[in-house]
This record gives sequence, structure tokens and C-alpha cells, in this order.
Amino acid sequence: MSYLVCVLLFRLMVGSVGVASNPSPYFAAMGLVMESGVGCGVLICFGGSFLPLVFFLIYLGGMMVVFAFSAALSAEPYPYGWGNRSVKMYVAAYVLGVGCAWKVLLGKWSGFWGGILDESGELLVLRGGMMGVAAMHDVGGWMLVLGGLGLLLTLFVVLELVRGVSRGGLRTV
Amino acid sequence: MTPIQMTFSTMFLLGLMGLTFHRTHLLSALLCLESMMLSLFLATSLWALQLSTINIATVPMLLLAFSACEASSGLALLVATARTHGSDHMQNLNLLQC
Repeated sequence: MSYLVCVLLFRLMVGSVGVASNPSPYFAAMGLVMESGVGCGVLICFGGSFLPLVFFLIYLGGMMVVFAFSAALSAEPYPYGWGNRSVKMYVAAYVLGVGCAWKVLLGKWSGFWGGILDESGELLVLRGGMMGVAAMHDVGGWMLVLGGLGLLLTLFVVLELVRGVSRGGLRTV
Repeated sequence: MTPIQMTFSTMFLLGLMGLTFHRTHLLSALLCLESMMLSLFLATSLWALQLSTINIATVPMLLLAFSACEASSGLALLVATARTHGSDHMQNLNLLQC
């Protein structure tokens, strides 16, 4: 179990380096997809049930899909992958930095890597994460309303930003 | 520092460095911002799961909602940039440069 957590954490780092090292957005979006899939796995390994599902559905299935088709706006004939020289230099620099940080801060870690910490000691159907999200609907009702209003506001913000012709964020188009 | 804390801290810092340094496309800056949001979601979810403070599990949900707002605003800006300048290259956004 701790080996699985170790592998998933390593893949999170790899995805993060792959996104930050300035490849073409097609490949950066792929790195982010891998990161979110593996992040879901990490949350499952630490005992969550609802939060990783939300992560997969909303983040990966909602936001990443939109980023993936928005990558058509940054189309170029020869996209830079991770084999390109300038991208490889960034990758090398980030891997070096991350390796040094891990060696310095985590070099003597010989302890617990990961596993499910639980208080009840038995298999339950409704786990902690789901109860917490239920609390958002119960005592956190006003925050939910505020979030909904914020999303509605964002809709109007987006519509005004891409409005052309007479007013908005576009010049003369 | 525990390995999982080290992981999401490093992910946040890598995304921040990727957002800050020179890049070609506006969309790759937005993707680095998304990786920062991912690390924050992981951090707050693991807080709720590992410390068994169950009420904190509302924080990642609301964080995801507001991060969706921010991502959609960023993509609207990307569309506006692509429609005025023809591409989303960062070097074209130089009207305020002296």
C-alpha cells in the first residue's frame, strides 16, 4: 500500500514538472490529465470516497475537457513536446530543484508513507468525506448560495468579456 | 516533512514557477494555474481525510467551484486575445510595454 502511494506521489511530481516546463498546451493538458487521475488515486489511498469522485467528475471531466478543446486556440504546426531542447532544459532544471529539495527535506524520512487512518477500525459505507460534503448543504447553506451566485456572476463576466461589436473585451471585431 | 505534504507543496511551487517564467502561450500559463488549484484541492482534501476533521471537507468543494469560475474567466480572456491578436502568444500582449 505504501508502495502504491509512493508511485502515485512520484507520478504527481512528474505531471507537475511536465506542465510547468513550458511545452505546447496540448502536452501540458495531457500532463494535467495524468496529474488529476493520479491525484484521485492518492485521495482514494488516504480513505476518501466522495472527494476523489468529485475531483474526477468535475475537475477532469468538466474543466480539463474545456481546456483540452480550448487548446485549439493555440494551434501551431510544430508543437513543442518534451523532447524539444528548450523544454528539456526546463525539465532538467525543475527535476534538479525538486530532487535537491526532496533530498534536503525528506532525506531522513524512514517512516510511514501512506495508508488509511481510521478511527472506527471497520468497513463503513458512509465515510468521512461524504459526511463533510453533506455538512456543506446543512450548516454551510449560505456558503453554497454564495458559491452559486459567484458562478452566476462568472457567467455574466464571461459573456461580457467575449462580447464583440459595440462593447466588451474585443477591439473592432 | 511528510512525503505527501512535500508533494503538494512542491507541486504548488512548480506551478507557480511555471506561471511566472517566460512562456509562449497564454493557455500554458492558465494550465499552470490549474495545477496550482489541483495541489490546493489535494492539500485541503487530505487535511479533511488525514486529521478526521470532517467539516473541512466543504473547503475543497467550494475551492473547486471558485476555481471553475477563475478558469472560465481565464479562458474567456484567452478567446478575446485569440480574436483580437489572432493567436494567444504572450509576446503580442505588449500594448502597455514602454
